[in-house]
Amino acid sequence: MALHLIMSASYNALLAMFLYILDKKTVFSKIPHKAKQVIIGVLFGLMAIFATTNLGGFDIGDGTIMNVRDAAPICAGLIFGAPAGIIAGIIGGVYRFVAVYFNAAGTYTQIACSVSTVLAGFIAAILRKFMFDDKKPTWLYGLGIGMVTEVLHMLMIFFTNMNDAVNAFEFVKICTVPMVIGNGLAVGIAVFIVSVISKEKFGFKKERKQISQTFQSWLLICIVIAFVATSSFASILQTGMSEVQTNKTIELSLSDVYLDVLEKSNENLLQKIKSINAEYQSGVSLSVLAEKYDVIEVNIIDKTGFIVASNVEEYLGYDMTSGEQSNEFVTELLKNGKTQFIQDYRPTAYDDVTLRKYGAVTLGDGSFIQVGYDSSQFRANVDKYVKTASKNRHVGSSGFVAICDEDFNLVTDRRDFEGAELQKIGITFDREEIAEGEIFESTVYGEEYLCSYRFVEGYYIVGAMPKTEAMFMKEVSVYVNTFMEILIFAALFVLIYFLIKKIIIDNLRKINQGLSQITNGNLNVTVDVRSNEEFASLSDDINQTVGTLKRYIKEAAARIDKELEFAKQIQYSSLPTAFPKSNSFRLYAKMITAKEVGGDFYDFYMLNDSTIAFLVADVSGKGIPAAMFMMRAKTVIRDLAERGLEPDEIFTIANDKLCENNDAGMFVTAWLGILDTKTGLMKFANAGHNPPLFKRGEEKFEYMKARSGMLLAGMEGIKYRKNELQLIPGDKIYLYTDGVTEATDNNTELYGDQRLLDFVNSLDKIEPESLCNLIKEDVDKFVGTAPQFDDITMLAMNFDAILGDESISVVPGTDSRDAIGAFADSLSAKLEIVPKIAKKISIVFDEVYANIVNYSKSTLATVTYSIEGGKLRLSFTDNGIPYNPLEAAEPDITLSAEEREIGGLGIFMVKKMTESMEYEYADGKNKLTLVISLN
Amino acid sequence: MTIEKKINGAAVTLVVSGRLDTQTAPELENELDSALSGLKELTFDFANLEYVSSAGLRVILKAQKAMNAQGSMKLTGVNDSIMEVFDITGFLDILTIE
Repeated sequence: MALHLIMSASYNALLAMFLYILDKKTVFSKIPHKAKQVIIGVLFGLMAIFATTNLGGFDIGDGTIMNVRDAAPICAGLIFGAPAGIIAGIIGGVYRFVAVYFNAAGTYTQIACSVSTVLAGFIAAILRKFMFDDKKPTWLYGLGIGMVTEVLHMLMIFFTNMNDAVNAFEFVKICTVPMVIGNGLAVGIAVFIVSVISKEKFGFKKERKQISQTFQSWLLICIVIAFVATSSFASILQTGMSEVQTNKTIELSLSDVYLDVLEKSNENLLQKIKSINAEYQSGVSLSVLAEKYDVIEVNIIDKTGFIVASNVEEYLGYDMTSGEQSNEFVTELLKNGKTQFIQDYRPTAYDDVTLRKYGAVTLGDGSFIQVGYDSSQFRANVDKYVKTASKNRHVGSSGFVAICDEDFNLVTDRRDFEGAELQKIGITFDREEIAEGEIFESTVYGEEYLCSYRFVEGYYIVGAMPKTEAMFMKEVSVYVNTFMEILIFAALFVLIYFLIKKIIIDNLRKINQGLSQITNGNLNVTVDVRSNEEFASLSDDINQTVGTLKRYIKEAAARIDKELEFAKQIQYSSLPTAFPKSNSFRLYAKMITAKEVGGDFYDFYMLNDSTIAFLVADVSGKGIPAAMFMMRAKTVIRDLAERGLEPDEIFTIANDKLCENNDAGMFVTAWLGILDTKTGLMKFANAGHNPPLFKRGEEKFEYMKARSGMLLAGMEGIKYRKNELQLIPGDKIYLYTDGVTEATDNNTELYGDQRLLDFVNSLDKIEPESLCNLIKEDVDKFVGTAPQFDDITMLAMNFDAILGDESISVVPGTDSRDAIGAFADSLSAKLEIVPKIAKKISIVFDEVYANIVNYSKSTLATVTYSIEGGKLRLSFTDNGIPYNPLEAAEPDITLSAEEREIGGLGIFMVKKMTESMEYEYADGKNKLTLVISLN
Repeated sequence: MTIEKKINGAAVTLVVSGRLDTQTAPELENELDSALSGLKELTFDFANLEYVSSAGLRVILKAQKAMNAQGSMKLTGVNDSIMEVFDITGFLDILTIE
């Protein structure tokens, strides 16, 4: 049977597994939910039908098929969804109802089975929906639900057959255990297998239990304890009550017989006394009468209670009041005024061993006549009554009454063992050990009986009742009670759980959802659970806390913004904005900070009259730390530069210094150049910075290709490379930070190196300030509405002239006129030349230089001077086309104003102001040498 | 170089200070272009002028030519250096210097 049960149980598991896999792995999952529920419901309905047949269930012997039909709708409902469960239940239930009419199932349980199958579907549906949040329960719940549903089924079988309680009970007794276990297993296994397939963790493996789980466990324990306690109590009570009931039933029969026998015996004796009395009145002697009527004693007692006459001589003069037994007659007849009195068969007053039955009637003169006989004498008369009294008497429905004499010889018995010993029918008892009316067990005709006896008039009246009958009510009560309790406690469990879930767990979940949104940063969420006072106040508290938090955050943000603004200002103000004035170069720098404080900076400073250091740098990160690190880097580099170190040395030392106490792990990229305006030699070093743009003369801008060193503060002990570039007047250099090249538009496209290069090469005239502004404008145009993420920092320098001590090199042009003029002035000042001569020198510079600018088309002009023999020797060199000013025709200075031509006047003036002039053209250069007398 | 312009009816005095050379001469030329029309009397005050180069001479000559046609022109406060330049270049003959 166990094998049958397991097989039947496993069909459901197989179907559940099949459908689950189908749903997860195949196109089945794409079917709409409703249709899927119908399909699953129908399939499990068919499974319920299959379970009803001989194949799916099994015959328990009398054509009744035991099955696990109810498991199918439960599986459908619990594992796949409420609608599927209901559909499967209805299909299974309707089939079970109809199956009766084509003899496929028994009539006996027709209604109970079909209704309970439908109910099973609904129960599963309701539980899934309301208790399990429309999710599959754990296998333990499956097991429990399967079992409880089946208990309901059993109870319904019993209730629908109340008119045939004994058979119904027998049926239920046989079916209960296998069907409850079978259905429980069927559902449990199905849920378990699906859980295994879905690789779920089982509830008890979770690290932290949910309230609902803890609650479920405790509730379950309480319910089970309550169930066991009430069941045991009820069972004990039922056992006790059934004993009392049995006792009563037997007692009732016994006392009936008892009274019958007593009545007959009393009647018999009274009759005898009356006959004896009649004859005694007519004068017959007592001895004769005793003999005639076969009695032992006939006594006449006077009104004082003394025996005055007797057939037994020795009794004469006996005081009736002297013995308890005899005194009863005195009391009843003489004192209470009764006319007749019959005593039970009992020991006599004068002898404990002799048992005798006495009776008496009054004689009218205050005396009475008493007759006594023993059992053998009255049994002859009473036995026939005794037989009829017990013959048709039943104890309960199948018990009986047997009567035997004092020696346990049966007087009457259901099966006519009369004359045999009582032992023969299996009943033995010892009067000394078992009191009258007490229940004792015997095996009568091979069956367990509960017995009791009464002793009357020398008979033992024994009542016997089959134990099964005696216990039937008790068992029925216990079964029904237990079933009811299971259902009630299960319902209670579900109800309490549901209430707690509704009142506490669901609300907690709502609050938790709100809180998790809040902790994820959405402070605009409000928690609003108002189903009861406690949760409402919790919600309010949370909302208030969040509100306060929001306000604090806002205030803090405002304060931080303000502080950042200060930081930005401090950072900004640390950048030099007074650009050095030099005839050698023009420099412009600009920083446009992003919204946040960044770590960009530029810097420049004259190390001496003729040496300028300039750099652009970018500190990693943003905010206050970056700004502070920037200040540190700026100071360190400047300190080192002012000590006169070379750029590579500056970076090497600065790197080590910045590595110290750099816990924040910040770093900085920098490009540093130091330019000697006397020679035009630029020394530079690059610490991981973007390569500057460089333009020579009329060539295009290009990125400087020098290899970069490691960024600063990245790693100690780095040696930086020494770089040099000989600048010539007209060179241009542009430094920038990645805020330019990495400016990003709305499509996250970068401005980029190539765009920058193309843009600067599209410009006609490169002036430091306009270059910076134009690039910024172009970047702005590119970026559009996208916000500026990073600082934009740039520094541009045009190198105009090499300002040597006794020479100057410039690009001939109007831009460099000032430089030439200044050189002339400084020459005069240095040589302390008298103003008159100094003016001449100025004129000479002006005239010769104007000539070079106007005619030579050269790109580089150099003026050198020397003092030779108290005379100033000036030499003008340019790389232009050959041109000898000395060959120009001299102007006619005698013409009138109207006739004058202005050409050639300059050189003419120079000739007049100098002592000598020489021209030569060599190595592709024009060279004009002049000697001016300083006196 | 700075130019200060003093107007007295149809007579204008231009006070030129600093250096009148290639760099600054175009400035004076511009000034004259706007001042010359309808001008009867033009005076250059060179008291604070350091020197004049050929570019300056060209502007002075241009002014002289214009004033010859419409009125008179004179120079005042000319220092030795400038006088020497005028001498070298023969400008003394065509200019009126007080």
